[in-house]
Amino acid sequence: MLDALDKKLLKTVADLEELPKGAYNIRKNGKLLHRQKSANINIETNAEGTGIIVTIKPGTKNESVHIPVILSQAGLFDVVYNSFIVGEGAEVTIIAGCGIHCGAADPEGHAGIHDFQVGKKAKVTYVEKHFAMGEGSGRRTLNPTTKIFLAEGAAAEMELTQIGGVDEANRLNEATLDSGSLLLITERVLTDGEQKAVSTNNIVLKGANSRANMISRSVMKGNSKQTFYATMEALNKCFGHIECDAIIMDNGTNETMPSLQAKHPDAELTHEASIGKIASDQLTKLMSLGLTYDQAVNRIIQGFLK
Amino acid sequence: MLELKNLYFTVPDGSNGNAGERNIIDGINFNFEKGKFYAITGPNGSGKTTLAKLIMGINSLSRGSIIFEGRDISALSITERARAGIAYSFQQPARFKGITFRDLLSIATGVIDEKKLLEIISRVGICPLSFLDKEVDAKLSGGEIKKIELATTIAASPRLAIYDEPDTGIDLWTIGPMVDLLKKELACHSTTTIVVSHNRAFLEAADVILIIDKGRFVYTGNLENSLPLLSDLSVCTYHDSCEGEENAGCLR
Repeated sequence: MLDALDKKLLKTVADLEELPKGAYNIRKNGKLLHRQKSANINIETNAEGTGIIVTIKPGTKNESVHIPVILSQAGLFDVVYNSFIVGEGAEVTIIAGCGIHCGAADPEGHAGIHDFQVGKKAKVTYVEKHFAMGEGSGRRTLNPTTKIFLAEGAAAEMELTQIGGVDEANRLNEATLDSGSLLLITERVLTDGEQKAVSTNNIVLKGANSRANMISRSVMKGNSKQTFYATMEALNKCFGHIECDAIIMDNGTNETMPSLQAKHPDAELTHEASIGKIASDQLTKLMSLGLTYDQAVNRIIQGFLK
Repeated sequence: MLELKNLYFTVPDGSNGNAGERNIIDGINFNFEKGKFYAITGPNGSGKTTLAKLIMGINSLSRGSIIFEGRDISALSITERARAGIAYSFQQPARFKGITFRDLLSIATGVIDEKKLLEIISRVGICPLSFLDKEVDAKLSGGEIKKIELATTIAASPRLAIYDEPDTGIDLWTIGPMVDLLKKELACHSTTTIVVSHNRAFLEAADVILIIDKGRFVYTGNLENSLPLLSDLSVCTYHDSCEGEENAGCLR
């Protein structure tokens, strides 16, 4: 059963009040807590027993899979390998996420290693939220890896969010795009205190007319530090864009390294990057509508990370 | 309703033999009456926007005082002046990431309810309903963002509304309706209206024309009598030292 703490974590990372409808797999402290399959979505433990395989039948429409992970056991570092096989023409939403509650001095962590095989003309929306809380002093670490292969004409939209409380994060996103496929990644990371987050993104535009757009929004409060690497490699006629914006508050620091590699004469790659404090004209505008300075700062950050 | 008393805005400046500072606003005194339409005009760099920003509290006064509805607001912050009933429409509105027109309207009015927001947009009339969920970001055209700026200013139902060059980026066909809208707001809510503009449409709509030059009001009165001075100022900014166009001393 879900206890009050489980419910709070699930609400935050997966927006779930109760057990969800449709297929789901809830993992708690390294073990399966609840699982439900649906007519079109199969979930089973992999042969090694280290994670799950989610198989979505071709043509499945408007279904969702929830696969949240919650951790509240001091000293545990949970590593899980999950595979997603999305059949041709399917349209699904996958909601992942990890919530850590740290109540002691021992560290806790989770590494979700996810790979996606998205079939021809299939569409996947992947939503992942990371969050940690608790009165304990143990370090909370989250090191997710996402590898995605998009077949011809497939589309994936990925929303990756780290909303607070995570001391250390080391993320790796890799994608390979076949002809006519589309990838949209939006990553939002908020760090505070002494937290550190590194995000490494390698996107290969392999097929003709593939398109990728990577958007990164970072906010660094306190003394926190974020590092962002994004590489787009174009091997064909394709379009790729990287947009990375970072807002510095307090004494936060940021390093951003976009890299564009055109290895085909018809490749079209662009990037825009900005790092800085909140623009003063934005603050002035919101204050002229009646917000205080602090309210204006909060509203701007809230919108930026929305 | 708004009284400017001996207003100065001074910046450091060591050039041209200045004594280390220069007055951008150079001792302005004026009393704005409730429910009247004022147009502030003058050459580029004369101090129009600086004066407007002093009233809103965006620039801090160097000397003098501002009395709004009988209360000295000289030391109040932008937020406090907004809450006291002053609204400001920027010449170059801020662009955000992740903030929509709906968000700005909600902040300006305190209204979240969808139906009421749509009513507000209909009242303001200048933005189509489809604007509601547009992000106020760099993708908006110059005209679109100015319409949004104007709409949020009016939606706040201020007692004093200041518009800094509201026609920048607006197409010719929209300027007429824009003037009508400001006049309608004034008629319905007695909104004291100050428009900084060079546009004849706004000058014609105004009850009082204020011509500012080198940080001072050089004319206050109706449009008709201001025309000779306006045409003079519009072609030349050296009128103080003018020795005549026929003369080799013309500074232009």
